[in-house]
Amino acid sequence: MNFNDWQEQQHITQFLHHEARLLDEHRWAEWMDLFTPDGLYWMPLVRGQTDHLNHASLFCDDALLRSMRVRRLSQVRAYSQQPATRTSHVIGNVALESREADGCTVYSTFHLLEWRKDAQRAFGGSVRHTLQRDGDSFRIHMKRVDLLNCEAPHEALEVFM
Amino acid sequence: MQNQTDPDAAIGIETETETETDRGIDTAVETEVRFYPARRTVSPPAPHPAPHTLVQADRVHKSVYTDPEIFELEMDRVYGQAWLYVGHESQVPGTGDYLTTRLGREPVVMLRHSDGVVHVLYNRCPHKGAKIVPDGSGSAGKFLRCLYHGWTFKCDGSLLSVPLRSGYEDTAMDLKDRGNGVRKVARVATYRGFVFASLAAEGPDLPEFLGGVATSLDNFCDRAPGGEVEVAGGVQRVVQRNNWKIFFENLHDTIHAVATHESSWRAAKEEFESMPAGTQKPFEIVIVDGNGEPLEFWEKLELKGFDGGHGYMEGIFTPPKDPVSLAYVAALEASRGAARADEILRVNRHNTIVYPSCSPHTSFQQIRVIRPLSVDRTLVEIFTFRLKGAPDATFQRALKYTNVINSPSSTVMPDDLEAYNRVQEGLGSDGGDWVSLHRAAGREQVVPGGRSANGNSEMPMRNMFRAWAGYMATEPTKQGLLSESPEANA
Repeated sequence: MNFNDWQEQQHITQFLHHEARLLDEHRWAEWMDLFTPDGLYWMPLVRGQTDHLNHASLFCDDALLRSMRVRRLSQVRAYSQQPATRTSHVIGNVALESREADGCTVYSTFHLLEWRKDAQRAFGGSVRHTLQRDGDSFRIHMKRVDLLNCEAPHEALEVFM
Repeated sequence: MQNQTDPDAAIGIETETETETDRGIDTAVETEVRFYPARRTVSPPAPHPAPHTLVQADRVHKSVYTDPEIFELEMDRVYGQAWLYVGHESQVPGTGDYLTTRLGREPVVMLRHSDGVVHVLYNRCPHKGAKIVPDGSGSAGKFLRCLYHGWTFKCDGSLLSVPLRSGYEDTAMDLKDRGNGVRKVARVATYRGFVFASLAAEGPDLPEFLGGVATSLDNFCDRAPGGEVEVAGGVQRVVQRNNWKIFFENLHDTIHAVATHESSWRAAKEEFESMPAGTQKPFEIVIVDGNGEPLEFWEKLELKGFDGGHGYMEGIFTPPKDPVSLAYVAALEASRGAARADEILRVNRHNTIVYPSCSPHTSFQQIRVIRPLSVDRTLVEIFTFRLKGAPDATFQRALKYTNVINSPSSTVMPDDLEAYNRVQEGLGSDGGDWVSLHRAAGREQVVPGGRSANGNSEMPMRNMFRAWAGYMATEPTKQGLLSESPEANA
């Protein structure tokens, strides 16, 4: 499905860039505000996973779990955040998957560098944002992150990607 | 004049002209040594202290966590002898279904034969040595076929066919010899659907090995209204940068919780305080803020340590009264009767240790499997189980526990991993030689088959090291690998 015009493409792409920047700058409160109250941040454990209730996930954070994670990251004695995880997103291949009356589903790919202590990790994959129109902008109903190496053994994944 | 067989000549270094053939093979070896000068400087290794001297009644030497030679010896003597958890029968439901894993250093495959029996084989072709089955799980069909030269085997490992059979006539390779099939691990046995294997031909049988900890596996299954469990919902894998024993010790280290997990229990408490007054505490908060309980809380819990290093810790969560829990209890009562259901649910345990390979959690239906990768790297695989006959919501709650507490993205575990890694790095220093296990030493009660202690005792660590020292002092017997041993699939 194509964007209606370059303005719609620009509008949606800018939203994704903004969302990624909030994460990279640890602006957690602003990032959480982008979600609808029933919005889900989901990172499946296996490729093609369709169910987050009857199958384990890498992340499956509703509003409560997003908030608890953010509160933890901000604690003085979050020992595994000494130093804090840093990330840098690059987003590309933004495409419209479907358009509904009150929003749309957007596909994109990402490359992510993550650094903490002595290790820099590289992640990548695709994202599906299910967006709901909210005035001039959007709210995220679902952010599904399909990590390229979702089935691989991982060390701790502490921050949202 | 240069000698083409002299490796020095190959890189243009002037050497004497005598040929290798003239000088014989001893001189050729010398030449090799000269070519790799580093080898000359290797002196014979210093005699290693006997492993059991590294473990004392109330302290252990740091080298048991840091020395690669000790790790190799552990693979021979601890992982090479103990019964190790392989998987659950439900993971290979049909003929030819397989699951690969590692037992110590050994790549193995668990698979179901056409007669329904589950076998555990070394994942190695007897011809050229290729791993026959790809890592992971799937179905091999009716027989195994090696990718390299097409040798085929039945799902019990016996040789089915080889290409160019005539080429083996009048050779020393007897294709009818069972010993030319895929090698079986020495012993395999199943306890209520949980498949265990031992790489050693001799040793206690599985029930004797499990001893008192079998009650945790019983309760794991008894909690299913249908009396059986099955693996479901995928496997999470976490890599830890620490020795495997550090993780095992932490499973029953009650007093780390309030210190190490301050970030997550505070976050959970703050989250609950932000909710409207009168809100019932959500499950996600109950399982995280529990770590903030004061030391007096943990002291009252019972720790049990069984011979063989096994043990369990009394449950830390009071059985909840929310709709999900009540619906589950109703299903169990409907199937077993109220009295039996009550008896089953009174067995309320937190982490169980089946030393040295896994940790079942009976009330949230998961098994964490510990696979040491090297002296300072450990893989933990987390399997969630469905209680047959229980409502879907019960399984979904078990998955929530896994996601929040044990997955790579857990809110709780990163601080554990950080602590384990700082221990590993600290132990590598010259800042001290021993690790203290003194807390409440000598105060445990001796009970049949093991020991019992108050919750803040370091008894579980001492109990595991007792078993460890026993294994390390014993040379395993590796034989009887070729034919079906009488204990197989008892």
